[in-house]
Amino acid sequence: MPFKDKLYRLAKRLLVSSDEAEDAVQEIYLKLWNGRDRIGNYKNPEAFAMTMTKNYCLDRLKSKQAGNMKIVHSNFQNSDNIERQVEANDGVSLVFQIMETLPEQQRMILQLRDVEQYEFAEIAEMLESNETAIRVALSRARKVIREEMIKKYNYGIS
Amino acid sequence: MESARIERLLDAYFEGNTTLAEEATLRDYFTQGEVAAHLESYAPMFQGFVKAKEEVLVKEVSFPESGFKIKGWWYSIAATFLVAVTVGSIVFSNSGLTDEEQEALAAIKETKEAMMLLSSNLNKGTENVALLNEFTKGTESIKHINQFTETKNKILK
Repeated sequence: MPFKDKLYRLAKRLLVSSDEAEDAVQEIYLKLWNGRDRIGNYKNPEAFAMTMTKNYCLDRLKSKQAGNMKIVHSNFQNSDNIERQVEANDGVSLVFQIMETLPEQQRMILQLRDVEQYEFAEIAEMLESNETAIRVALSRARKVIREEMIKKYNYGIS
Repeated sequence: MESARIERLLDAYFEGNTTLAEEATLRDYFTQGEVAAHLESYAPMFQGFVKAKEEVLVKEVSFPESGFKIKGWWYSIAATFLVAVTVGSIVFSNSGLTDEEQEALAAIKETKEAMMLLSSNLNKGTENVALLNEFTKGTESIKHINQFTETKNKILK
């Protein structure tokens, strides 16, 4: 499938862990495979797969929150995280860190627009929303990153 | 000069009012060329987006076993059949017969053709014989004339 990397990146943006993102893509593939007779009915299979990924990841996040806090705690301690803290010295990693703090909707929009470069109409279709709402949320997300960057930079300098 | 244009684009960008093409201009500016000092703080953002897109799914995604297994089986069966037919046709058509046998076959074929020609000519002959029946019919008609003569003679008496 030509857009598997895009699904993976969206899943990773939401779930953070690359293992979980891989599982998510596998799960989506399975669902697409089971419904492969029907996929021809969708005029945009890519957008459809993106919507499925979004819904799957949001469900995962919800069940994780409702479940135990232990997962969150152990996540905090894994080597992945330490690595990221070391990397955080450079601005690019800082951007990724700030992105992780954004609400899910804004994170997805930023991912789909600024990383994957989809048109607003496509994003609206994927996220089952409308273009105006997408633009507003995108503007908000971009401004948060700008402000956080300025804050951290100033803090680092002084 | 250029930085003024970039500043304008940045303003629109943070309001969510840039097109994909304009966003590409911004990305190119912050990732490729020289960045004006007062705009440097924006660079990590755009560099980050470019970097984020480089991430790919390394793990192979697998499809459900059964679906592909059946297909695989069918392919192997078809392939085996094809090979069997090819090998079979080569073995049985050529190397199975010696030159002598092939000559004999050709002779039989020629003989057959000759026989067919003969029999068709023979059929023509019998058709001609059948025409003799018409002659017989003719003679029967002549008999009728005889009858007519008899009647005529009676009247004349």
